[in-house]
Amino acid sequence: MDILYHSGTLFIVIGVLFFLSGTVGLIRFPDIYTRLHALTKADNVGLGCVVCGLALQSGSWVLTVKLLLIWLLVLIASSASCHLIASSAMQKNIKPWTRP
Amino acid sequence: MPNDNCLSTSHTLATLVRRSLPRFAIFSLLWYALAGSDALSWVIGVPAVLLATSLSLSLASSSRLNIRVAGLLHFIPFFLYQSFRGGIDVMHRALSFRQCLDPGLVAYTTLLPEGSARIFFVNTISLLPGTLSAELRGDQVTIHTLDQGLPVWANIQRLEYHVAALMGETGEGRENL
Repeated sequence: MDILYHSGTLFIVIGVLFFLSGTVGLIRFPDIYTRLHALTKADNVGLGCVVCGLALQSGSWVLTVKLLLIWLLVLIASSASCHLIASSAMQKNIKPWTRP
Repeated sequence: MPNDNCLSTSHTLATLVRRSLPRFAIFSLLWYALAGSDALSWVIGVPAVLLATSLSLSLASSSRLNIRVAGLLHFIPFFLYQSFRGGIDVMHRALSFRQCLDPGLVAYTTLLPEGSARIFFVNTISLLPGTLSAELRGDQVTIHTLDQGLPVWANIQRLEYHVAALMGETGEGRENL
């Protein structure tokens, strides 16, 4: 029980680090497309790690299924909205930033 | 003639049962996970599960979706590993002292048939390391990449292969054309 709890904590800390780096990318990256990269990828992995950590700590499979379901729904929503934002930016002729 | 008719109705009934049973099982499991083991919750659960099954059937009738179990077993570890690599890649680029970005657009023509397979493919592109699906027009996908030095084409082709195996598409699924 104790080792499950502590490995869960480790997973949550790793997930928070992913969220943090995604946010840093959102601030530092130069244009809408690169910022979308930062948000979708880092946050999906971050949420995955947090969900794994919480599932390890919960100790019940019903809660684990619920958590996995939340992750799956967020994955679908974030990849679909990411594609929609990028494609509407393309339609508005927003040129991607390129290395000068 | 009536005999023929009877045969076809029994055939459609069999396909209906075959298509609805897995959905029914999945939705029941979902309800159990959401509502817990309280038996009384099935008073609402059974109608909800039946409604969800019929809704899912009527929504999916336009596009065929036949997920292969073997394909799924290959796809899940591939997907988890790739999205983890994608997260590490973004973390590295966001936190590195010098900004190491060389973004660009890449055009790709997909062989996947129109419908759920192509939509699924376009949505999963955004979770691979360094790629993001920016636009879909017919079978033309415009991909934005964080780094033009990455092997974008090879990565996308591998993903396309995995999606084709998952959806049971082997290239002959172009009967709609």
